[in-house]
Amino acid sequence: MNSKSVSYEQLLAIFACLALALIAHVESLPLWVLAAVAVLGAFRVLLAYRERAAPSAPIRLSVAALTVAMVFLQFRTFNGLSAGTALLALMAGLKLFETRTQRDMYITTLCIYFLSLSALLESDSFWLLAYLMVVCWLTTATLLRLTSTVPLPDWQHSLRYSARLFGQALPLALAFWLFFPRLAGPLWQMPSDSGNATSGLSDSMSPGDISDLAQSDDVAFRVHFSGATPPAQERYYRGPVLHDFDGRTWKQGRPAILNAPKLLLQGPAYRYTLSVEAHAHNWIFALDWPARWDLPGGSLNSDNTLIQPGPVSRPMDVAATSYTRATQAQDALNPAARHQDVHPPPANPRAVQLAQTLRNAHPDDLDYVHAVLEMFAQQAFYYTLTPPKLGNDSVDEFLFDTKRGFCGHYASAFTVLMRAANIPARVVTGYQGGTFNPFGNYWIVRQSDAHAWAEVWFAGAGWMRVDPTSAIAPSRVEHGANEAVSADEPLARRWQRQTPWLLETRLRLDALRQLWRERILLFDQDSQQHLLEWLNVPEPDAEKLVIVLTVVLGLVFGWLTWQVRREVDASPKELLLRAYARLCAKLAAVGMPRLPHEGAEDYAQRIASRRPDLAPVVGALLRRYSHLRYAGAAARPTVGQFDAAVRAFRPKSTPPDSRES
Amino acid sequence: MATLRQAAIDKLRAWAARRHGRDSLPIKIHRRRVYILPTRFGIMLALVLLAMLVAGLNYNSNLGLAFAFLLMSVGLVIMHHCNRNMLGLQVDVNTEADAFAGRDANFEFVLRNDSKVDRRDVEIRCSTGAAVRSVLAHSNETVRVAVPVPQRGVVSIAQFELRTRYPFGWFYAWTYVQGSLTAYVAPAPAGTRALPAAAGAGTVASPSQVRGEDDFAGLRAYQPGVSLKHMAWKVLARGAEPAVRSYTMSAAQPEWLDWSLLEGHDTETRLSQLCLWVLESEAAQRIFGLRIPGKEILPARGAAHRFACLRALAEYGLGDA
Repeated sequence: MNSKSVSYEQLLAIFACLALALIAHVESLPLWVLAAVAVLGAFRVLLAYRERAAPSAPIRLSVAALTVAMVFLQFRTFNGLSAGTALLALMAGLKLFETRTQRDMYITTLCIYFLSLSALLESDSFWLLAYLMVVCWLTTATLLRLTSTVPLPDWQHSLRYSARLFGQALPLALAFWLFFPRLAGPLWQMPSDSGNATSGLSDSMSPGDISDLAQSDDVAFRVHFSGATPPAQERYYRGPVLHDFDGRTWKQGRPAILNAPKLLLQGPAYRYTLSVEAHAHNWIFALDWPARWDLPGGSLNSDNTLIQPGPVSRPMDVAATSYTRATQAQDALNPAARHQDVHPPPANPRAVQLAQTLRNAHPDDLDYVHAVLEMFAQQAFYYTLTPPKLGNDSVDEFLFDTKRGFCGHYASAFTVLMRAANIPARVVTGYQGGTFNPFGNYWIVRQSDAHAWAEVWFAGAGWMRVDPTSAIAPSRVEHGANEAVSADEPLARRWQRQTPWLLETRLRLDALRQLWRERILLFDQDSQQHLLEWLNVPEPDAEKLVIVLTVVLGLVFGWLTWQVRREVDASPKELLLRAYARLCAKLAAVGMPRLPHEGAEDYAQRIASRRPDLAPVVGALLRRYSHLRYAGAAARPTVGQFDAAVRAFRPKSTPPDSRES
Repeated sequence: MATLRQAAIDKLRAWAARRHGRDSLPIKIHRRRVYILPTRFGIMLALVLLAMLVAGLNYNSNLGLAFAFLLMSVGLVIMHHCNRNMLGLQVDVNTEADAFAGRDANFEFVLRNDSKVDRRDVEIRCSTGAAVRSVLAHSNETVRVAVPVPQRGVVSIAQFELRTRYPFGWFYAWTYVQGSLTAYVAPAPAGTRALPAAAGAGTVASPSQVRGEDDFAGLRAYQPGVSLKHMAWKVLARGAEPAVRSYTMSAAQPEWLDWSLLEGHDTETRLSQLCLWVLESEAAQRIFGLRIPGKEILPARGAAHRFACLRALAEYGLGDA
């Protein structure tokens, strides 16, 4: 069968399947790889259409060498998901290109299966899984047509048959998925692909530039509070702290040292679970002052931001406890830190002058802070997400010329004014607020909830949060970014906000997503342990898991065997005849054999006259047989019952009151 | 490698023959005699599935694992379906076939499918011959398997095999049936000598008239075993003794295809010439007899007679060896 040559229709079908599988890679693969596969496949299909053979060996080899070299030039490695997938896609294209026999096509189908899998490895989308299962189904139907001989099953039959196979495979797949032991970590570390960094907070901030983060509806993370929820004005999720300012851009500055200053925590403790989406950096947006966290390798850096060793490349859940009030245990800031955070701003002379004027009027630190906030509130400052662009003296231009900006502008200007007055201050970026989802009892924090605020050092109290944005647009802090923007918000968002049912649908969908993420995406060793506990398995561990897997697989396998064999089992008619033969044999054993010419009715009458004690049971059975035998298809389903009744029938060899004569 | 494989297959065949004993045809294929193994393509698929599993585990990707497990399960389901493709199939075969040396012996198999599922691509392998056929639900198919027979003689086949790769060719399921098939291989018809003339050519009547079916020749007494078609029912109705209508054949002269007519040729040449004569005589609808050393077949004609003659030619000399 393997050596059979291939037809135009077969090539076209397999090429279509390959194209469908590659659609899942459109975002991750370089465009030239997709184009190369498309050209190679289309060329071969065209050759087949013209009834020409596959290209000769030298052409095939040189095309193969060329494409492989190009992959290496692009990725500089064959290791890793992107390079591997590109190589596999090209291999599938080349295999299609050189297809001469059925065997080549089989290999292409294997490539399609693996390409589908590789699209799923770093994905979390239900829709992608569903789509690839459909691709797989179509590929399997194509394969059925490839491997069958005459009469070739038609497309309808092939599609139906593969759907049936997938249906029968589902319970088995579910058993594998639930009970196959998961690993705690990867078997070996794969090089992570830096190309697919998602949007999110970066480690620098330039208020003068236009930021599209505020317009993004992407979810940064979701928070579920197990106990009390902190009030809106205390829901600040801490990200990177920015120390260095060059007049235009804020940067993290010193390397994050892993010795977090000791804090005296106050107020209520909030316990919560963060469901963090993937982003390019290593910080976890914990609430304000984190105290405890369940995160392998997690620690606080010297800015009290929770970080982990590597970037958050995959979505993950972190359970943590935080406080929203804290004072520093040490009295004074150490000199190095102090120098960094009062480092005089290199530019913005007008701002420095303004600070000195204000400082002269307010020698007390707290008074001075209030005076600055007062200034923001009194003067004509506006909160807007689309501020004008600023030049090199961004703070000067903002404070004296444009007076329009969002949180970054205010935090930046405020911090500069503090430093110019010799008060240590720093910019903290992170998220603030969020949308409550009543359908899943959690908060959704989107990229548009990204926020920047300032922290000011007060002797004796330590770092205190001051949010200058709240002086201009209090609603931004209390109700979130969406509420604060009114005049210049995009039409789509306003429309969305004014349509409550749409908002509700969106929240319900998000709740489903969260459920999908918790139950499916983050299913791990712990989940399996809970599953075993739920099944009442005593002392669940990995060994028990394997035992349960074996038992469940055995059961499902038994079901499958029964399910598959049932269809070739004897027909109802055969079963009926067999049961009838059994009944006659039982009666023959007690001395009442059926005569060859006797029908069921005659036999029943003869038994009634000779053995009246058996008559009621045997009469009923024989009548039932006649009915089943001649009533047609309607009676078929009860054949099994008849068979059972015959099996249960135990005639006695002699009548209870034996009449001799 | 190939010889190792062949040795393993021979061992397995012998073992299956011992395990199941001689089968009386027709047989219904029971699940205990169906064996199944992955094909080379199936092994390749298994390796790909293993790689998928490792990738899913390594990336700790639950969706990837779900996909890999689904494909693994499809593979296992297909194993069941491949096995099922053989179960309950009924096989029958005509155990005797005639053939000419250098051509094919055709065995006619009947595959019967009483179930409601199609049995596709069932291959029958019989010695060096093979044929593939699909048997749809509730139907039967006649499959002719051509076994090449290079030499004159009697070829017996002790075992034949049914196998299937359907669906997808990931597995093949097979079963051995111990049913003895015999092919009587007549010599290849060849020769240059013309047909010998009938004995006593030219005379119309002869004492050695051969009873035939063509011309009515009168009544004779009934003997058991005579075809009812030839009973003289009217005679019986008159209350007389049962009688049979008797006929003579038109070409009443039998010819003898005699070994001794071919002096001076070697055995196989003689046999080939005799075989050619048998075929020519049969084609000309003549009545002929065959005389070879140790065997004489009385003059007659018809398919059974022809088969008897060819069989005699096929078997010639085999008893001596």
